[in-house]
Amino acid sequence: MTSNRPLQGIRIIDLSMGWAGPLAARNLADLGADVIKVESCENFDWWRSWEATQEWIDEDGAEKSPAFNSVNRNNRNITLDLSDPKGRELLLRLVRTANAVMENFSGSVLPKLNLSYDVFKKEKDDIILLSMHAFGSTGPWKMFRAYGSTVEQSSGLPHVNGMSSDPPMMHHIAYGDAVAGLNGVSALLVALRHQAKTGKGQFIDLSQVESLFPLVAHGITEFTANGKEPLRNGNKSKFFAPNGVYPCKGEDKWIVIQVLNEDQWLSFQELVGTPLKDFGDLKDRLSRLEDLDKAISEWTSSKESQRLMYVLQAAKIPAASTHTMPTLLNDPHLNSRNFWQWLDRAVVGNQPNPSAPFRVNGNRLPINTPAPTLGQHNQEVLTEILELNQTEIDELEEIGIIGTKPKMPSS
Amino acid sequence: MAKALEGLSVVDISGSVSTEYCSKIFSDYGAEVINLEPESGFETRKIPPFISGKNDSAMHAYLNTNKLSIVKDKLEKESIRELVSNADLVLSNGENSELSAYSEGVLSEISWYGKGGDYENFVGTDAQCFALNGMLRGLGSIEGPPIIPTGYQAQILGGMAAFAGSLGQVLGLELGNNKNPTLLETSIFEACLCLTEVGAVSFFNTGLEGRRLGVNRFAPTYPLGVFPCKEGWIGLTVLTPSQWHAFCKLLNMEQFAFVPEYQTSLGRLQAIETIEPVIQESLLTFSSKDLFYKAQEQKIPLARVPTMEELLNVDQFLEREAFTSAILPDETKLTVPSIPFRLMDTPPSLGGNVAELGEHTENFSYDK
Repeated sequence: MTSNRPLQGIRIIDLSMGWAGPLAARNLADLGADVIKVESCENFDWWRSWEATQEWIDEDGAEKSPAFNSVNRNNRNITLDLSDPKGRELLLRLVRTANAVMENFSGSVLPKLNLSYDVFKKEKDDIILLSMHAFGSTGPWKMFRAYGSTVEQSSGLPHVNGMSSDPPMMHHIAYGDAVAGLNGVSALLVALRHQAKTGKGQFIDLSQVESLFPLVAHGITEFTANGKEPLRNGNKSKFFAPNGVYPCKGEDKWIVIQVLNEDQWLSFQELVGTPLKDFGDLKDRLSRLEDLDKAISEWTSSKESQRLMYVLQAAKIPAASTHTMPTLLNDPHLNSRNFWQWLDRAVVGNQPNPSAPFRVNGNRLPINTPAPTLGQHNQEVLTEILELNQTEIDELEEIGIIGTKPKMPSS
Repeated sequence: MAKALEGLSVVDISGSVSTEYCSKIFSDYGAEVINLEPESGFETRKIPPFISGKNDSAMHAYLNTNKLSIVKDKLEKESIRELVSNADLVLSNGENSELSAYSEGVLSEISWYGKGGDYENFVGTDAQCFALNGMLRGLGSIEGPPIIPTGYQAQILGGMAAFAGSLGQVLGLELGNNKNPTLLETSIFEACLCLTEVGAVSFFNTGLEGRRLGVNRFAPTYPLGVFPCKEGWIGLTVLTPSQWHAFCKLLNMEQFAFVPEYQTSLGRLQAIETIEPVIQESLLTFSSKDLFYKAQEQKIPLARVPTMEELLNVDQFLEREAFTSAILPDETKLTVPSIPFRLMDTPPSLGGNVAELGEHTENFSYDK
């Protein structure tokens, strides 16, 4: 572990929910920023559940969401009912102590709460506001709603993936969320650097759909450079052969094999032996893809995928077995690099936490605290930062501005 | 107008898709980015897609607007050392140790698997990262094989992650939080884990292992996927009970709206054989464009699923200048995506010139 905390002293007020915003905030917290997440008992982060019931509340369901718990570590959590003037006022007081505010609501939410960049700026002249709306903060679709799946569907990405015999193919249940999260942390860092240099804040407009365009750049430029829509050819490549996912021993076990040049081909041909002896150069292989894939499939199908990966990689042939969620947790490479950091978390016990994807001077950025429980830091934040006394805090609790248990929506 | 990263200098000594995407964000926001290329040019100059009638890589053009190109073989060793050591940030794929040793600022290495561990010396590809992060196994038909995502998606994700890490370290030095230069090491594979880590943690807690359910089927959300309409494709995501009720009304299938078992995503997924044929039939009576607007009016998060041509003509994206021009050395303009986030007071460059190999070598030598 390292004490590397480059963002120490920077405070972020995180109003975001779900995956995209919290993932951005998580990266900032990992880098040492003081991230204070603000939820409310009634409008809690929907990643705790979008189908809450009283029974779920009674059974501490809000604290059991693996999705929520995996992206909210290293931060502090408070509750404030922002629809109440008192709650809103406390948020604004908190903003006065912060470098930045971030949100990923749909476009109608902040206006309903009478909150905006101008309102925050009035409280703190150099504040930064990052808005991560699905389609951005301007344009005819600025109020439209989306989940991470909607974002991927809207990005053009499905039209460059899959088979032409199937509908355009999505990658993931919420591809847009994670990618927008990586863009969100980048956007805030750029603005924080400008703030540090000039003392000026600003509004950042991030579009989650546009965040996926770099991942479709190969398809977009194929069209803009050549006027041709990319073909959805499944695992067939125009440039490489073999290039595919081949069956291995066991149920639903697979290995990716991609031979990218003729040196790799010669190594592969030698390793496989007789089944590939009749195949020639790339042109020949591309012209006999079906036969080639069949021969390789027959060869791989009796082999254990993980072991075969090591054998092929030892011969410098690009190959990887397909992990499942259980095998991902036991991946030897990740384990030897301490990727999963284990922390004890209230209600759910010892939990694996994924590290930031970068190491500093050979060390992981530490995960000091697991995801806090709802309102866990109410007392700490309200006394230490907002300097409220105990009577005031008790009163806030009594009238429901703060709390530590979710409530079913009143309407 | 001043740009937010002005005054920073970045040198890319490797020229991978990841290092170039990372440095692209720096250059778009005003940092000086130098591609220190071999005489043969960075490898990204030779990757598809290519521009019709030329050997130029369209992907390289997209990744390299507003950067300088210097051929290192034409510089004295001392000039190279000076160039690299003066940079605030040096980007590398981890292989060029001689040049990276000159770094006196933040050295940011972006490699497929990072240093140490079983896979350190593996030959990496984008597809491998998606195989090993667990995403690939969920893609494609039930019987398989899983379908590889196209393009350079893993490398772009690696570049995005490395940007955050790299600027974080640069900022740490500027703020005085970091006292010494740092070596930041980003694993492209680990960057791709942000897509699947939640699934792994969920499995740890529930013991439930997802199976491949077919193209565009991802438990527990249903309806979900891409479906044909009378004209075009529509993307469905219906999650909450209120969205389900509104969706049923919109598609004239109100008989399903309040069925108790259909009030949860999982319940609907379990009844897919009953529900889906009705959805498919109804969708074929709408154009995707009309249905999209009607759904969004009613707060149902449906999507138009555009082809590349359609994408470039969507009014939302046109109004936001989501696409711009990379200008090639022969003045040809290539339409490429703009940067996805905009700082409103210090806006980024949208598009710009792509340097010819070695275009800035001579001036650099002269200046020094």
